[in-house]
Amino acid sequence: MLQYVNVTIDGAPVRAEKGTSVLDTAIHFGICIPHLCHIPGIHDMGACRLCIVEEVKNGRSKVTASCTLLVEEGMVIKSNTDKILKMRKNIAELLVAQAPNSKAIQDIAVRCGVKNVRYPFRNEDCVLCGRCVRICKERAKANALGFMGRGKDRHVDHPPGRLMDYCKNCNGCIMFCPMSVTPCGGPMKKGEERLCGQCDSQLNADAQKMPGVCVWCELGKGFQCSRYLAI
Amino acid sequence: MPRISQARDLETLQQHFVAKRERVKTTIVVCGGTGCQASRAGSVIDAVRAELARQGLMQDVVVRVTGCHGFCEQGPIMVFEPGNLFYCHVTPNDAQDIVSRTVKKGEVIDKFLYTDPVSGRKVTKEAEIPFYSAQGRQLLNFNKLVDACSIDDYIAIGGYRAIAKTLKEFKPAAIISEIKASGLRGRGGAGFPTGRKWEEAHEAPGDEKYVICNADEGDPGAYMDRCLLEANPHQVLEGMMIGARAVGARKGYIYVRREYPLAVKHARIAVQQAREYGLLGENILGTNFSFDVEIARGGGAFVCGESTALMTSIEGKVGEPRAKDVHTVKEGLWNRPTVLNNVETWANVPSIILNGAKWFASRGTESSKGTKILALTGQVKNTGLVEVAMGTTLRTIVYDIGGGPKNGNSIKAVQTGGPSGGCLPESMFNLPVDFDALWEAGSMMGSGGLVVMDDKTCMVDVARYFLSFLQDESCGKCVPCRVGIDRMLEIVTDIADGHGRPEQLDLLQELAETVAESSLCGLGKSAPNPVLSTLKYFMEEYRAHVEEKRCPAAVCKALVTYSIDGEKCTGCGVCLKACPHDSIAGEKKKPHVIDTGLCQRCGICIGECKFDAITVR
Repeated sequence: MLQYVNVTIDGAPVRAEKGTSVLDTAIHFGICIPHLCHIPGIHDMGACRLCIVEEVKNGRSKVTASCTLLVEEGMVIKSNTDKILKMRKNIAELLVAQAPNSKAIQDIAVRCGVKNVRYPFRNEDCVLCGRCVRICKERAKANALGFMGRGKDRHVDHPPGRLMDYCKNCNGCIMFCPMSVTPCGGPMKKGEERLCGQCDSQLNADAQKMPGVCVWCELGKGFQCSRYLAI
Repeated sequence: MPRISQARDLETLQQHFVAKRERVKTTIVVCGGTGCQASRAGSVIDAVRAELARQGLMQDVVVRVTGCHGFCEQGPIMVFEPGNLFYCHVTPNDAQDIVSRTVKKGEVIDKFLYTDPVSGRKVTKEAEIPFYSAQGRQLLNFNKLVDACSIDDYIAIGGYRAIAKTLKEFKPAAIISEIKASGLRGRGGAGFPTGRKWEEAHEAPGDEKYVICNADEGDPGAYMDRCLLEANPHQVLEGMMIGARAVGARKGYIYVRREYPLAVKHARIAVQQAREYGLLGENILGTNFSFDVEIARGGGAFVCGESTALMTSIEGKVGEPRAKDVHTVKEGLWNRPTVLNNVETWANVPSIILNGAKWFASRGTESSKGTKILALTGQVKNTGLVEVAMGTTLRTIVYDIGGGPKNGNSIKAVQTGGPSGGCLPESMFNLPVDFDALWEAGSMMGSGGLVVMDDKTCMVDVARYFLSFLQDESCGKCVPCRVGIDRMLEIVTDIADGHGRPEQLDLLQELAETVAESSLCGLGKSAPNPVLSTLKYFMEEYRAHVEEKRCPAAVCKALVTYSIDGEKCTGCGVCLKACPHDSIAGEKKKPHVIDTGLCQRCGICIGECKFDAITVR
């Protein structure tokens, strides 16, 4: 039998299924917490840290990722305090500076309120969100992709030998990769990277007033926002 | 080897070993720690033993090879007991002299005595050396009493009496309340109350529980865990046994890094010996308590010192941290309740049980009890391992124990807590060594590294060094730590290279705060500390780099110019010949000049000049 717990997210009391994450619960109830590495039904690793929230406990608040945080009875979550919004913006800015050639990441930058990028652009092909790795492992059960190296050298690669010995050609990795769709204006060449920001209009006036409410913006489509996958 | 099957056997055995020790006329205690071995303690030991054999003194004189005494700079170190005579910088060739004069006749040989760099006088006794006398040693005192490879030595000084007492007198809950009352806090860095950790693990449901000793010490310049495990592994084992009894674990792991071969070896030997004596295994000391320990070797990743990463590493997976929303005391190793403590924490446990919580809590401050071992390194006269009561001020440690600055420079800052600790300026040296006081000041206790920096150190360069270390050691799993550290390093490098812009300082601050809060694990959260603390206390140095394009400490190469002081230069031509870039010109016996356009700022000329004529600005 399903068990439920009472949780307060951004002041809204909700009844959440026990064992689900705070992020899943929030999305289920139409509360928008930006996220990138999370895919519904797949284990979360907490890599992108965009979905950070404040958990208030005994008068003290702790910043943690909502995808790896499981709901508990009486939990109080705040997903859009000034502090969280600022940090989320900073993380989105780091991401877009790292990989501006992704519609998904450009969208997230808009969603998180990045107005200008203060770092030199890098134009990399991978942000190590681990979506491909986990899809391959958990959905395709192929284990054809994994992380290799540490820190700066960390990258996604297949196990030693030929990729074809493992890969089942399911295309899951490509479908779920945030880098597979380029910004609307086409791929940016080295030296021409910029913050796209054109979809700002997607966030209508209501969204600016209520940053925590899902307004069904088009921004999540680029990386299959959980909202779209859930239906 | 006798099997100790009850507490009484242990007492008999102890009396036997004590009596055996009393029959020895002289004990030569030689430090065989890694530091002294690097200065050839191994050959000194061999030479002394050979000499004793040659002179037929093997019966009366015992050479005890112990772990680190802490004063590594003076190695190899030798202490003669009884008498407490202290010799330093001994070489294998001196063995004959030492045996025939000091051991046989009791003569004190002047040239081996320690000279106090502050007062300049010679010191005969170990206890009178300011480096030792200013400390408050508790744990490190055991080091010179035992041979690390001998369980007999440990039993002779009362070893394993604490576990015997625990099994006889304490219920698990009583152990926990004793540890709680002592106020012991984790020595690994965060300072979590040990008793509370044990209590949570004790209360966590499940039959299978684990205890782990974290000996994956990776901070540059810190080696206290290594030293403890090398010198007195049985004490750590005993601590783990008591912890296991308290939480109900049957299995323990010592996670020690492969780069510490001696620690791995000694821990292995200790476990083997304890098993042979029946102190590890089934039904220890005739009770229903069963416990065994396994050694897990780590590959040497800094991140594996983080508790969850360490546990995944023991499980045989890639050592990466995971979210800690569910504590490891509930779901740790193999998802079972697990207590993970640092080497020093475990080593403190037996004494607390033997002497009582009150005794332990009698030293230290309100919130931090007991003593802390610190690795004092950097620009001070005496470097080495230092154990002080909590609450001792940084000033006492740096000036009284460390002997103050080297080479007549003045001390600018001290970096506490390893790469993810912070830099505290000289003006804050009245700060006590205390978990909370250091945390509030923007630094942390960490595992206890203490790097002293003088005015020849550039704080921007320091931040850059630690960031590049952390960038190398970050596991790369989460964005703030991986990309954030990378970007911070980029900005700091820009500043050090003279390309810094004023707005970058604000960006650096903002980014550092974001990384500190949003990273996945404790290492990522503390990684910006070097940046945050230098920004807080040494902002003027950053400003000088950014606004005036000047490095006050003359360290950052891009911002300094070399010149020759015409009055001091005698025109000897040494620098002219030494310069690999042909940037120095001049006639013989006339002052030389440096062509700043050609100068690569390598600093070779400074090393060559005998007249101190080359200045860097």
